[in-house]
Amino acid sequence: MKKLIELTVNGEHHEVAVTPEASLLNVLRGDLGLVGPKKGCDAGSCGCCSVHVDGKVVYSCMTYAVGAQGKEITTVEGIGHADDLHPLQQAFIDAGAVQCGYCTSGILMAAKQLLDTTPKPDEETIRHAIAGNLCRCTGYAKIVDAIKLAADRL
Amino acid sequence: MSVIGKSVARPDALDKVTGGKAYPVNFQLPGMLHGKLLRSPYPHAKILSIDTSAAEQLPGVKAVLTHHDVPQRKFTSVYFVPTDTKSLPQDLLIMSDHVRFAGQPVAAVAATSAEIAEQALELIEVDYEDLPAVFDPEEAMQAGAPQLHDGAENNIAVAPVMEFGDIEAGFAGADHIFEGTYTTQRAHTCYLEPRVCVAEYNGNDGYTINSSMQHLFGLREKLAFALEIPESNVRVIKPPYIGGGFGGKLDMSYIEPVAALLSRKSGRPVRMEHTRYEDFITTTRNPIKVYLKTGVKKDGTFTARYASSILDAGAHATHGAEVINVHGFAWLSSYHCENMKWEGKSVYTNNMIGGGYRGYGAPQACFAFESQNDEICETLGLDPIEFRKKNARQLGSAHPLVPGLTIDSYAMEEVLDRGAEAIGLAQRHPPGANGDGTTKRGIGMALFPFWVSGCVGFPDIYEHSGAIVKLNVDGTADVATASVDIGSGQITTLLQIAAEELGLPMAAMRMVDTSDTTTVPFDAPTHASRITYGSGLAIKAAAGEAKKRLLDVAGTMLEASPEDLEVVDGIVRVKGSPDTALTVADVASRAESPFIQFTDQGPAPTTLAEKGTIIGLSSMAPPSNPSPIAAGFVEVEVDTETGEVKVDRVVYSHDLGRVINPKGAEGQVEGGFQQGIGYALMEEIQFDPDSGTCLTGCFLDYKIPTAVEMPTQIESIFVESNEPTGPFGAKSMSEACVVVPAPAIANAIYNATGARLKDLPITPERVLAALGEL
Repeated sequence: MKKLIELTVNGEHHEVAVTPEASLLNVLRGDLGLVGPKKGCDAGSCGCCSVHVDGKVVYSCMTYAVGAQGKEITTVEGIGHADDLHPLQQAFIDAGAVQCGYCTSGILMAAKQLLDTTPKPDEETIRHAIAGNLCRCTGYAKIVDAIKLAADRL
Repeated sequence: MSVIGKSVARPDALDKVTGGKAYPVNFQLPGMLHGKLLRSPYPHAKILSIDTSAAEQLPGVKAVLTHHDVPQRKFTSVYFVPTDTKSLPQDLLIMSDHVRFAGQPVAAVAATSAEIAEQALELIEVDYEDLPAVFDPEEAMQAGAPQLHDGAENNIAVAPVMEFGDIEAGFAGADHIFEGTYTTQRAHTCYLEPRVCVAEYNGNDGYTINSSMQHLFGLREKLAFALEIPESNVRVIKPPYIGGGFGGKLDMSYIEPVAALLSRKSGRPVRMEHTRYEDFITTTRNPIKVYLKTGVKKDGTFTARYASSILDAGAHATHGAEVINVHGFAWLSSYHCENMKWEGKSVYTNNMIGGGYRGYGAPQACFAFESQNDEICETLGLDPIEFRKKNARQLGSAHPLVPGLTIDSYAMEEVLDRGAEAIGLAQRHPPGANGDGTTKRGIGMALFPFWVSGCVGFPDIYEHSGAIVKLNVDGTADVATASVDIGSGQITTLLQIAAEELGLPMAAMRMVDTSDTTTVPFDAPTHASRITYGSGLAIKAAAGEAKKRLLDVAGTMLEASPEDLEVVDGIVRVKGSPDTALTVADVASRAESPFIQFTDQGPAPTTLAEKGTIIGLSSMAPPSNPSPIAAGFVEVEVDTETGEVKVDRVVYSHDLGRVINPKGAEGQVEGGFQQGIGYALMEEIQFDPDSGTCLTGCFLDYKIPTAVEMPTQIESIFVESNEPTGPFGAKSMSEACVVVPAPAIANAIYNATGARLKDLPITPERVLAALGEL
């Protein structure tokens, strides 16, 4: 049985009918058309689905949509867009941190939480901050470079 | 050169940092249904009956399929060979009443939601006859083992043998003989975008398919064959990019034909997406057990080399029947020796089907021969660099794969010397002599002396490419190719090649992202390190043809001979008098203009010869198969109390002919080492020994390196040998960096501890066992 819930995503208010077991990821992607968060494992182990809930990074595949009511949800679409990129997004382009890009949405959200709380992180802090996000293309080297670059620019 | 050699930004990066809308996983069609597969819990069984009536009654279910409903034409799923190939066994069915691995699909449902489709699967009753199963390839070859395929005696799918010289005489003439057995495990590519497709039946036996795959035309050919319809009845849409492949999407899986048939039965488009568990049991790097015997003179010169390799193909041969050959090539071609023999066997078992994975048989080979070469050097007190130089192939010598060709670029010595210098190989300690207490440090290296830039020379493998390059009136160019960007930067590399050839800035270049099998020429898959060389040559040829026409029109406009013109940064000018110039936009506009042009002096005719879009087209095979050369050097720390191995530092040296995009090339190395380190130390798909069920179906059980496990120092050294047949001198890049890490790490562990590890992955348990601590 579906239940009508209210979600605030990227500053926009939505009403959606969801089943109690629906994940936030499926609601974002399926009901709201926000395809930035990606499904890589659906088991809370890859980080491709990472979004912010009240400023904290969470795996949206492991978050019930009904539990996100009344909270501020931010997806990668909410941090910048093509003509107004977030410094992290620009740094990922400039540093060559994007390859297949499937992990990028999630890693950007993990990195944003890091820089929101720790403006000038050292490398070890950066690596631990993204350790919950898997990337299979880059070896993380240029992702770490990009986060450092964004921290310098911010 | 103005664009080649520059770290230009990837054109696809902007979309990817703002949410990545163009992945196949995001593709939808109106009225689309969702399909799911029912998979066998038994590794070997006969289906006695299937009752789908309850599933069909479930509201929302629109179509159900079993083996009774699908064509029973056997095929190979491998994209890069013709469907009627004699090289690979045709042993696969879309669905069969004979189950050969745990997880084989036995029924499929399409419903209005994925949840309903899953519920329907639970309502399907299957009566299985459980059959004896065999999981070990050596047991599978024994008399009395269950026979898995008709015509495959002793379960041997293929058994290639290659031999030259006089192996017995070679061993008789050796001063020393070394023997060893090296085993490698089943590893998954771990592309992050799952395999996914949307299939739509169009009537008249025709289908349109959108899929996350590495070969547009391969999917068309395989799907048409399996569905028993003409090839052009299948239209495959090219995704602008996919979320990773690494060889793991180099064959048609079950979902494409099943989704197509579900669409036909239901009359609606059908989407199917793998769960991560399904991806883990779909393709893998085949495990290979390699026995090596090498005869050497006192000075380290090879006198004879023998190898035998047993590959676990799993339930169906598919790639396993080709990986074994490429694996043999990787060993045979690696070092020069007059007397060599190799015997390979690809063996059916009731394990999951194998697949393509970056390196394609070479990681298993290189781990064996570079481990043994290290042992030879350590035992005989030989310098590891000089030993390899002595035995490696040489510039100008015969190409070991392609008769009649020679090795035209081969900077092996520089690759070795620069890498060894950067890591400090000459200064390393003797084995076990660096470190205090339980912390030991070591440096190791491995050379991958010979590899490919495509598949020229391999029988039955497609290797031609094509492209369309079209200039626009604003001075930009659109490039269309069937070559799929699987993440490693094909769009960027190919556009840089086209830009350089045309004389346009990178900002003027655009890759067409909406092509399909009806609109672009054939291209071989994105595999075998082939795109920069093979597709790059085709892109360059198409750009060259467009440029020729550009100069013809510009010659008319400038009243100059086309041969006297050059294009630099979007300006067409007379060589030696740069003021006599036009923009490319001026020329393209003239070519596209009406036949009468209005000028300041009034209407004036333009010439017929000028008219028409400035366009170039190519479809061609590359002339050669030049070899990259790669050497990996690593520094490790081994905890002799816990057995843990940590890679602290990497130096990677590679002759790629010409670097097209330095940052992109570095990214390939860094990611390659990530996969190589995972393969060396932690990754292994494991099965329950009784039921054959996969135990490592998620990233919590199948560990891959995170940012914390990766070394912070990865130095890439690119040696530019300028391959004469390559596009602007380029050869190839992205597989060799996955091949060298495992042997380099094993050799570094030997240098740290004196223990020789011959089985992958080198887990803490194995390290402790080798140290005598377990």
